[in-house]
Amino acid sequence: MSSDSPPHPAPSRSGSNPRDLREVALPAGNHASPGPEPAAPPTGRTATSLPAIVARNVAFAFGTGELRRQILFDLSFEVASGEIVLLTGPSGSGKTTLLTLIGGLRRVESGELTVLSRPLHHALPADLVASRREIGFIFQQHNLLEFLTAWQNVELMFQLHPEVSADQVRDRTLELLTLVGLAERLHHHPSQLSGGQRQRVAIARALVTSPRLILADEPTAALDSQTGRDVVELLQWLARTNGCPILMVTHDHRVLDVADRILHIEDGRLQA
Amino acid sequence: MTAPLPFQAPGATPPTIPSASVLRRLSPTLEIAWRQLSYHRTKLAVASAGVLVAVMLMLVQLGIREGALENSISIARRVQADLVVTSPRTRTIFQSAQFPRRLLYRLQGHSAVQHVQEMYMGQARWRNPWQHNEHPISVFGIDPRSPLIDFPGYSDRADELLLADRLIFDRNNRTSYGPVREQLAASGPFETEINHRRVQIIGAIPVGISIVSDGNLFLAPHNFQRLFPDRSPGAIDLGLVQLRPGENPELVRRELLSLLGRECRLLTRQELIDAETRFVQDSAPIDFIFGMGAVVGFFIGFVVVYQILYTEVINHLPQFATLKAMGFSDGTLLRIVYWQGFILSVLGYLPGYLMALWLYQIATRAIQMPFSMTWQRATLVFSLTLLMCLLSATIALQKVRRVDPADVF
Ligand SMILES: Nc1ncnc2c1ncn2[C@@H]1O[C@H](COP(=O)(O)OP(=O)(O)OP(=O)(O)O)[C@@H](O)[C@H]1O
Ligand SMILES: [Mg+2]
Repeated sequence: MSSDSPPHPAPSRSGSNPRDLREVALPAGNHASPGPEPAAPPTGRTATSLPAIVARNVAFAFGTGELRRQILFDLSFEVASGEIVLLTGPSGSGKTTLLTLIGGLRRVESGELTVLSRPLHHALPADLVASRREIGFIFQQHNLLEFLTAWQNVELMFQLHPEVSADQVRDRTLELLTLVGLAERLHHHPSQLSGGQRQRVAIARALVTSPRLILADEPTAALDSQTGRDVVELLQWLARTNGCPILMVTHDHRVLDVADRILHIEDGRLQA
Repeated sequence: MTAPLPFQAPGATPPTIPSASVLRRLSPTLEIAWRQLSYHRTKLAVASAGVLVAVMLMLVQLGIREGALENSISIARRVQADLVVTSPRTRTIFQSAQFPRRLLYRLQGHSAVQHVQEMYMGQARWRNPWQHNEHPISVFGIDPRSPLIDFPGYSDRADELLLADRLIFDRNNRTSYGPVREQLAASGPFETEINHRRVQIIGAIPVGISIVSDGNLFLAPHNFQRLFPDRSPGAIDLGLVQLRPGENPELVRRELLSLLGRECRLLTRQELIDAETRFVQDSAPIDFIFGMGAVVGFFIGFVVVYQILYTEVINHLPQFATLKAMGFSDGTLLRIVYWQGFILSVLGYLPGYLMALWLYQIATRAIQMPFSMTWQRATLVFSLTLLMCLLSATIALQKVRRVDPADVF
């Protein structure tokens, strides 16, 4: 029986509930051992009351001139801190495009888009990169580096955070991989893991540096329904315990119940 | 806490946690580069073999080019006189034209000159006493008592060499003259015929042969006259001029030239070496042939490394795009690929170097000229190897730069 089996009941880690992930959130300073009190939150963490995403009249088009095709029209919405929002809609409606705008992978053309208090509508390329470092991305394809083990793939993310000490990197990597149920598979390469396990490594990778927003594009599409359900529940659990907002594109009707709110998009317009 | 924590297996055994490797301490991107390359062992072996071949070709071709050149000018390099008088028609001391000895003796009168010495040079026919055939050989006649040229061990045998028809053999001569060294080692001096005259070979000294001459013999001037009875002792091939200590050859030369007139040329030691080098380069296309080999080696290595790095980059575009999307900079990705170029250079260079040393030995035996490694050549070829690999990496990287991270969604 593989570890893709249904979720186990809440485990007891040293007899207590799992620590709030934010307790081991990346410290801004160099205090190696977080005490009983949570480490001082990194900059911006205090602004939890502000919405994670604010979109005002966002529009986007591919191409120019004759070939110009508008994909997104006049989108306005917010995603509050700690909220799980699903984005649904028919194929080609612009869901992925919207996600790339929020993720700072494409630039907003008109309207205002503020993500984690950063106005992306007039951001420099370097600002976009900085913004991306605070976001956990989960893609349809896991896109793990096949020459790195699960451990190494997750640990790799700390190269973006050289201020984190080696001890903390180790603790945090182990914690996340344990959390996604791969404590026994730390040193397996992706080729030695099942599809669900790979996607869970990808989730651990997206979450290990304590992102302040998670963007997921059909994270369950490549998985069978039970595994897909498990992955979504894991994301939900992580969001609930962290207060980390999640915006997730999905076509999977069986997972709609995890959402706080569902945004439906059709032909580039939000449906009420 | 309401939601159950999914996936966690009960009673999980404590996992083993890797400690930071040596590579990571050097550079985290180097560690990734190494993991990527070493994941596919065969690919790594092929790439390293490609670099190895390139390194070997470059080292061997450059080594033979340099060795052939160096050996060919070894007589000129051994000259210890400050100035050398030659005929204006002489292009190499192996095919020299003569000039009157009296001109050289004129220089003796100049206050800056300490000592002059004549040297004779000719091509004779050596009879191979084992195979009874004849083979051309270069003959150098110079006073063995105080030669102004460094023929190691020559003056040690001066007493014997002053006897009639005694001469000494070059230990580096090609084997076409017969097993001379073996004969000398086994039973000492032996007789043969040179220019149909019976002579005695009294020993062998290491001087060095050229690509324009298969072998050398050294003897005293009066014995040279016996081998070449048609030549007048007053016509010499090379005049060696030793200046008094402290005299500047460049300054003295102008004054000496006025004594010589237009019948002679007066060269410094370096000019003689340069002239010999030019002659060898003009008479044999060694620069072209061996330079070409080195270029081909460079190109082979370049293509193999490029192929490997390019396919690695192409195969990992989605992963690289993912890393970019997550906030990794182009710089990080560039460093990974450049490190891979560096790793391949090192992996190919070390065995390539050893192979080249081995091939030098084979070439030394086959071409019968000593070839050896110089640290300058080793460094040059390592630099070329690095250049080759980093150039390949640069071109392979054009793809990574163009990756649009938005495409991974
Ligand atoms: N790079 C691009 N250049 C031009 N047009 C594009 C590009 N990417 C997407 N499109 C177009 O934009 C529209 C919206 O695409 P998008 O990927 O956002 O849809 P989607 O809602 O994610 O669809 P799906 O559910 O199939 O993933 C589509 O018509 C698509 O053809
Ligand atoms: Mg899509």
